[in-house]
This record gives sequence, C-alpha cells and structure tokens, in this order.
Amino acid sequence: MRTIGRGVLVFLLLLALMPSRPARAADKVLRVGVNDADIATLDPDRGVQTSDMHIMGSMFNGLVRLPPGEVNLDRLEPDLAERWQVSPDGRDYTFFLRKGVQFHRNYGEMTAEDVVYSLKRAADKNRSNFFKTFGAIESVMATDRYTVKIRLESFEPSFLGGLIPYRGGQIISKKAGEELGDRFGSNPVGTGPFAFQRYSPKQFVDLRAHKQYFRGTPKLDGVIYRFMPDLSTRELAFDQGELDIIEGIKEQRWVDRMRSKPNTKIDILGPGELTCVFINMDKKPFDDIRVRRALSHAVDRNEMLAVIGKEVATPDYGPLPLGYQGGVDQGLPGYEYNPEKAKTLLKEAKQENLVISVVMSQRSSFVRPMEILQEQFRRVGIDLRINPVDHNAYHAQIRKDVNALVLYIAARFPVADPYLTEFFHSRHIVGTPTAVTNFSHYKGVDAELDQAAHEVDAKKRFAFWRRAQEKIMEDAVAIPLYVLKAPYVFHSNVDLGYEAKSSLFLGPEYTAATNIR
Amino acid sequence: MKYVLRRILLGIPTVLIVLTVVFVVARVLSGDPALAVLGESASAEALAALRRQLGLDRPLLVQYVDFIWGTLRGNFGTSLVSGAPVVSTILNAFPYTLQLTFAGVAVGSLLGIPLGVMAAVRRNGALDYFLRTVSLTGLSVPAFYSALLLLLLFAVQFPLFRVIGDPSGLSFWGQARALVLPALNLGIIMTGFIARATRAAVLDVLGEDYVRTATAKGLRPAVVLFRHALRNALIPVVTVIGLYTGELMGSSVLTEVVFNRPGLGKLIVGAMNQRDYNLLQTLIALFAMLIVLANLLTDLAYGLIDPRVRYE
Repeated sequence: MRTIGRGVLVFLLLLALMPSRPARAADKVLRVGVNDADIATLDPDRGVQTSDMHIMGSMFNGLVRLPPGEVNLDRLEPDLAERWQVSPDGRDYTFFLRKGVQFHRNYGEMTAEDVVYSLKRAADKNRSNFFKTFGAIESVMATDRYTVKIRLESFEPSFLGGLIPYRGGQIISKKAGEELGDRFGSNPVGTGPFAFQRYSPKQFVDLRAHKQYFRGTPKLDGVIYRFMPDLSTRELAFDQGELDIIEGIKEQRWVDRMRSKPNTKIDILGPGELTCVFINMDKKPFDDIRVRRALSHAVDRNEMLAVIGKEVATPDYGPLPLGYQGGVDQGLPGYEYNPEKAKTLLKEAKQENLVISVVMSQRSSFVRPMEILQEQFRRVGIDLRINPVDHNAYHAQIRKDVNALVLYIAARFPVADPYLTEFFHSRHIVGTPTAVTNFSHYKGVDAELDQAAHEVDAKKRFAFWRRAQEKIMEDAVAIPLYVLKAPYVFHSNVDLGYEAKSSLFLGPEYTAATNIR
Repeated sequence: MKYVLRRILLGIPTVLIVLTVVFVVARVLSGDPALAVLGESASAEALAALRRQLGLDRPLLVQYVDFIWGTLRGNFGTSLVSGAPVVSTILNAFPYTLQLTFAGVAVGSLLGIPLGVMAAVRRNGALDYFLRTVSLTGLSVPAFYSALLLLLLFAVQFPLFRVIGDPSGLSFWGQARALVLPALNLGIIMTGFIARATRAAVLDVLGEDYVRTATAKGLRPAVVLFRHALRNALIPVVTVIGLYTGELMGSSVLTEVVFNRPGLGKLIVGAMNQRDYNLLQTLIALFAMLIVLANLLTDLAYGLIDPRVRYE
C-alpha cells in the first residue's frame, strides 16, 4: 500500500512540474471570462444572449456605428459607409461604401452586393429575429460596386440607427452566408477587428486579429472568451492572472470588494436594462386603477437600491430605460413611496386582504427585487406569494398570462419606439397571435405610438412619445424599479483604447486599439 | 457469454422505460426551446414559427412515436438549440467525462480501500474514529465547495495547477495534469463511500469462522487479512463502487463547472435549462445504458474476485 501511495505522490509531483501549456510568448491574447454557460449563436441576425452580443461586438461592422464606449444616437458616425445622403422626405438613402475593406478568412473585399445581401437577410422573417427593424425597406440595391440605394415604404425615424452593427445591422459576407447557410452562426465571417477562429461548446470562443482590418491591424493577436458561469472560479482565475477581464455580477458588495484589489479597475457599463413590474389589468382586481396605484405607492426604491447597490442600479421613474432617445427620464407623473396612501386606496377598492400569487424565475436578478417587493407589499397588507421556477419555465409561463404581476428585465434599441411599442401597444398584448411583451394588456397609448412612428418632424414625434409615457404612468400599468448596469473587472495593464461608459453589446468592445501593456 | 447477452437484452426494457419517463417529464415541465433560441424579446409569431419548424407543434403522441422510432434506429436528431447533431455533441464531451469518472473511481479506490481496511483492523482505535470522521466529511461536503478548496490550496496557495483546468486541445500530459484536481475532488467523495463500505465488510468477514481457523493455523495476521479476509470482503465493496460510478457520472456537473472541464454533466444541465428535448433525451438514454452496463460489469467482477460465483 505504501508503495502505491508513494507512486501517486510522485506522479502528482511530476504532473505539477510539467509545463502546463506550450508557452507562446509572442502571442498577445486578451482572455475574457464571461458569465454565460455557452453562446446560442454567433449569427448576427439571430444572437440575443449577453455572450452572443458581447462576442459579436468585436467581429462585425455596420454601415454606420456609435463611437466605441458610448451609446448616444445623436453621435452616429461612418463605419463601412464613408458617407450617405438622405432625400428630403426621408425615404431614400444612398450609402457610399469605403473601398478596400476585407472580410475575414480571405472572403474577399466587402462590396455593395454584400450590403444588399446582409440587409435582405436581416429583413427576412425566416432567417432573422430582427426582421421588424428592417420592415420599412421597400427596396435595397447596388447601383455600382461601392454604392447602395435603399428606398423605404414610408419615413422611419430610427432607420439609420438600425444600421449600426447591432441586432441585424451587421454586414456579413454574401459568399460566406450562401456557402454556410444555417451553419453561419458557428462560422461567422465579418469585417471587424477580430475574426472567428474556433468554438468549443460550453468552453470558449477564440477570435484572431484580422490583420487587414480597415482601421489598422489590431494590437492584440486575439481574444479568447471563456464560458465560466461560476463566479468564484472566474474570480480565482482573474486573481491568478489566468484571465485579463471578467464579467462581474450586478451587486454593490461584490463591486466594492473587487475595487479594493491591487492592479484592478472596474467599468460599470450602461445604458443598462430596466427592471420593471407589469400589472395585468385584465385580471381582477387589477382592472381597478386604485389597486394599481396602491401597488405603486407601496414601493420604496431607495430601500430597494440600498440592497441592490447604488453604482450598479439607478432608480427609474418612467416606463423606458434611462437615456433612450425620446425617453423622459424626469418629471413624469409618479407615485411617491407612501404606505398610508396605498392602504387608503386599497381600502377604497375593498382589497384590504389582497393575496397575489406569482411564479418567478429563480435567477437572483429576479428573486431579489421580488423578495424586497414582498416585504414592502406586506407593510400595506398585501400578501405576495412567490413560487420560484426555472428561468425558461418562467418565460414560457408569463407568455400564457399565468401571472398578474410580471417582473421583466429588458433593454431595446435606445430609442423610445421599439421598447414602448413592444411593451405597451395593444397589438402586442400577450396571448394574442401578434403578441410580444405587453404583459399589462394595456390599450391606452396606441394612437400616440402609431402617430409617432410616422411623424417626420422630430419635435412632434418626441411630443407623442412624451404623451405616451405620461399616460402609461397615469394609468399605473407598470412599476418601473431601476436600471441595472453591467460591471466588468480589468487588470490595470489592459487598455481598451477608449473610455468605456456604455455599450449596446452588453460587454466591452475590443477594437484595433485595445492592448495589453 | 449467454449470461452477458441476456443481461443486455434485459436492459433494453429498462432503457425504454427511462426514455418514456424522460419524454413525459421533459414536456410536463413548463418551458419552450424556441425561447432559448430566439430569446426573450421574440414575438409570439416568431416563436410559433420556430416551434412549427422544430416539429414541436405536433401532437405529443406523434412526437413520442417519432422519438422512440428514431432512437431504435440510432437516429437521435439534432440539438433543438444549436442545430448540431446530438451524437457528435455528446461524443465531443464523453471522453472527458470518462476520464474524470475513471480517475475519480481510481483515486477513491486507492485511498478508500486501504483506509477502510486500516479502520477495521484498528477498530474503535483513534485511527478508526479519525477515518470515520474524515470519510463522513468527504460524504457531506458539496462537490463545488471541495472543488473551490482544492483550487484555493493547489492553484492559489501553492500554485501547482492552473485555475482553468480546460483539457481540450492539450497534449496527453497536459490532459493528465488538468485531470488531477477534478479527479481528486470526485475521488474524495468516492473515498468516503468506499472506506465506509470496506470497513463494514472487513469487520464482517473478520468475525467469520474461517478467519479464526486461518489465525488458529498460525498464519501471520497480514496473510490472514489480505489473502483470506479481504478477498471476500471486496464483493460488497465492488458493489458500492459500481453503484456510485453511475452516480458519479451524473453528479460531476459541479466539478466540471468549477474546473472548466467539458463533459456530459454540463451538457445535461444546459439541455435541461434550454429545454433541448432531443439532446436531453439522448443524454438520459445514454446514462441509463451506462448504468445498466456498470451494473453488469459489477456482477462480472464478482466472478473475478470470488471464483465460486456462478452466472446463470
């Protein structure tokens, strides 16, 4: 027995002394630890998960883009298009493309044909999740190798914004798209600073520098994204220098602890997702506005934020996530925290012993705010019962109208329209064939939203959107709680090459300028 | 041989029953694979279209017959979420699970059997109590906790190993090295089971007449223990090892997550979370077959240890 024991010990020691990996000192690869267990796809017309978007953010370009690290639609700048013209009625766009842009993996020069192919694919119901964004396109054609003309069926205010490399706006190689078909999502070909190299399911995605990138050869040799859903290991690997960047969790205590570590910096990325409670007004007693207002008065956001965290969460008092174009972040009708008023309203509505039973996703970002609500509701005499289910089941159940209260965490393209329409237009009421996410069954702002959608004059459009937001709050069909931002932790030798304040990609974008010093 | 064949044939109904149960349970659970693919912002139309494309809108009975018929012909289909063939997805991860399971069982046996024997021989001594406490701790500590402790000790305090133990794409030695900590982690759990079973079995045997006879003949205690007692005591121990090997394969998911290893555990949890019915059903069928196989191998091992065992 002793010899076996000794043998095992010697074996262990030998293994420990072996070089763990062929050291390639020349390789400057950025190692990123992400929170997801896997990607769903890297097809830009399909991917919606955090890690899908985070990874695709460094692989693709659009016709236009937002400056890296910023989400402000007033600052759209040229990307693959050098410049563009818009007709006075806003229906005809002409894009003049940059010359000499190369696709990854020798798929050749990006031309007008690729742009036409990409936009048609993004607008195709069968190949794209984002076909609605491109639904206004009447025709798109290449007039020469470097010019694309797009005609819209009618004026569409945020059409240009939809052409950034985000949710279908990415330009992909026509040749690759046709060759690979459904397999494009596991072999994507774009024009961005990093090219897809390898994917190991549930383990990692490996990107290599695109040497012919049109903004210059990237300083890094590559980026590897590791799927590490366990926070403790992600942190240990970061501490041991095996990872350069890790995705954090949206909790203040954790952020504070990471900040106290040496050689570490934290970026908390906006624009953030809105955590909001939607009240189904077709279910009794929530058809009574007094009950809905009572719920709104029962919520103490300050107390909630003391738990969730001041830096990662910002209170929101309107139906849109903060900072959206056309969104009204301050001055909407609201409901201050006032338990006495809530009790009075409930008494008037004869609902003093209200019991609400809901199913809830067991993810902590759902359960935590719900438990705080449970306590705050208890103070006004409402008994909120929470039945945890797994995340997928929750989403399936709320689409069958199981809950009177639906907690939802979401972000959309940062203009008022898509979010307001999907969550508050009667066309999208849950349970109908054209349902999206109108869990409140609200019908009160159809006119405003429809008028805004086709209003050429920006000022008038913004006024319609403002009115819609006011009505939503007056009718108390939703209780916006807070906007959650995404903390990312870096070793201080990592230089993104720009200041990261916000990202639509739900993670930092790695550019040609990103470097490890 | 005839015995082996009969056992395998008897295993088929077991696997079929398991498949049926899985099929029913997976669909009784509320959930939607289309949501996993299209995401939470998808419209009802898009979700319905994808369900139609995946064949999930057909009557359950049709889906069930289709599934059983496919399985019998060895056609397991493609993952509902990634679109990759289920078989290749599983085959990519399977070797890592086998490595981990066998290494875990090996560590558990190498540590557990000697410890159990020692505890039995020195029954109620200090060593016995110590080992009993240690093995009980091994049984009760959750796998992810012990995994983190191992990482803290051997990757942080004494940085002999890397935190990210992903073996994919590494050389043989690299893979072996990446296996050490995960195998130790599972091995610790196995050690607990095996040491306790060994101790109990050896104690049983030591009380038997033939052991007393052997001792009375004047044989040295070591010979009595190893040649006479241990051989018989090993049968229940092998049963325990066989039983827990199956369990180990299934429960290695936490170990895989903490050490960043690919493996079936991760696959099965992912398939469950995403309602990837095809992948989930095939994985469960595979587990059922493996457990049937493990039980068979256990029974066959009895014959090796004790030649008096006959198979009929």
